[in-house]
Amino acid sequence: MQKLTDVEANDTQKKEMKLSKIKKREIWKTNLTAWLFLLPFVLLYLIFMVYPIVEGFIISLTTGGFGGDREFVGLSNYMTMLTDAYFWEALWNTVLFVLISTPSIVVLGLLMALLVNIGLKGTTFIRAAFFVPYMLSISVMASIFVFIFQPYTGLLNEILRSIGLIDGEIFWLGETALAWLSILIATLWWTVGFNMVLFLAGLQDISEEWYEAADMDGANAWQKFWHITLPSLRGVLTLVVILQSVASFKLFGQPWLMTGGGPGTSTRPLVQYIYELGFRNWNPGYASAVSYVLFLVMMIFAFIQYKLLIKKED
Amino acid sequence: MKNKVRSTRLPAYIAAYGLVAIMLIPIVWMFWVSFKPINSIVTVIGELLTPPYTMESYVRVQESSMIWRWTINSVIVGVIQTAGTLLLSSLAAFAISRIPFKGKTFIFLLILAGLMVPVEATIVPLYEMIVQLGWVNSYPALILPGIALPLGVLILKQFYDGIPNDLMEAAKIDGANLLRIWWSIFLPLSRTSMAALAIFIFVQSWNNFLWPLLVANDQSMMTLPVAIPTFQSSFTTDLTVPMAANVLASIPALIFFLIFQKQIIKGIAMTGIK
Repeated sequence: MQKLTDVEANDTQKKEMKLSKIKKREIWKTNLTAWLFLLPFVLLYLIFMVYPIVEGFIISLTTGGFGGDREFVGLSNYMTMLTDAYFWEALWNTVLFVLISTPSIVVLGLLMALLVNIGLKGTTFIRAAFFVPYMLSISVMASIFVFIFQPYTGLLNEILRSIGLIDGEIFWLGETALAWLSILIATLWWTVGFNMVLFLAGLQDISEEWYEAADMDGANAWQKFWHITLPSLRGVLTLVVILQSVASFKLFGQPWLMTGGGPGTSTRPLVQYIYELGFRNWNPGYASAVSYVLFLVMMIFAFIQYKLLIKKED
Repeated sequence: MKNKVRSTRLPAYIAAYGLVAIMLIPIVWMFWVSFKPINSIVTVIGELLTPPYTMESYVRVQESSMIWRWTINSVIVGVIQTAGTLLLSSLAAFAISRIPFKGKTFIFLLILAGLMVPVEATIVPLYEMIVQLGWVNSYPALILPGIALPLGVLILKQFYDGIPNDLMEAAKIDGANLLRIWWSIFLPLSRTSMAALAIFIFVQSWNNFLWPLLVANDQSMMTLPVAIPTFQSSFTTDLTVPMAANVLASIPALIFFLIFQKQIIKGIAMTGIK
């Protein structure tokens, strides 16, 4: 650098300035391109995701109808919730469903995946049969199961009667415990195939060599399952548990279509309560407040699961 | 040895085919009932299994409902939602994966945060927005809110991250701009991921219930999941016509499943695992 004359130095400076100008323009251009790529997605995302979240919170602080003038009431909707027996019932119903549906679907889904994975004759057919209910729409599924469970003309009572298990009628959808059982059975039937597919993908990732090594050591089937299969599936297991509990928190269609939340309100979940508060009682403020609590409960649940299931893995 | 294997497999066969029966009986029953005469006794199994069989329930469904319209609505919503989600999330994922720009981390985190938000928790403000826009009973209301899907960006970004940089550099030297690189390199390479994602989105859209229930209350704008219960609610004692409606509503999805079974199962596994 010292060898350079003044003129040369000046020249380099000019060049550098020109370069940095070009560079700056280049960077600006890249930024612009990136944002053009992002624009369509981000625009819809802001309108239909970010805005409703913010607006939902604002609505939850007000009282009044849709579209009209609303009055700011602070946290009063949230205070109402504390003493609202229907809210607590719906919250409990939702949590109850999460607690009973998640383990059942994990066990049944895993069992189905194992049965499909051990190379029985007709495996393709078995797999298809396990999965096909998932392709039906929730309304078709619910309609079939209402006809199965309903008294007098239902298929299940008819089968139970014909094999002599019962004498009269069982009101599957008319008694709280049985109604929950019916909703659980319908949900399992409908969605277990989805979870089976996830387990199946996990099973197929387990190296055959592990089992061969276990065979050499004389391990029996149960030992292989307990010491190889199950530990290898931990990742998929975490995923299924999280996906299933999120789906169960959002429970709405099954009770809405099968029991209407009844008998009484004993199978009404939170989402149905939100729906009815908002669109039957036309009370968007309170409905939004309950929505926020649902959101919060889901976050807490996801966090606990994350801590319990992911931490163990490390 | 062979005998031993066979005997240990017997319980597995019994369990597997027992479960197959449980999974298929409701579907077979749906088809069977739909072919019995209207108002016939279908609940006594002996009567159900003996003729006569007829198509009159199907004729009745066609005459007294807008079943084709509802199917077309479901197809339109499903196809546009799927195509739109793929296009938009692919563009966004490409920018996040391959273009260095200011605010990238922020945008990515903002999109990831959306994974945690259940649509069920935002129905009140969303519905109010649709009302204010005058979009109740319209395709935009049914389609647009579902398109900005964070999961799509996440999955495609992960895939794009794995594409070697050399490919992009080579294309740049050849004078291709970023849009061209996205279109002629990244899109074709991500075909499998895109197909998996497409199946996942389409199935979700096809079965979506709560949102269409809110924004489509006119018969002519309903999708199948909303319209079928509405139609069935007028039949209290007869099972055959509601079942025929169930069959007609299910046939497109069942045919789709029979043709693309492998891809669907693979797609669900890929999209779920990621």
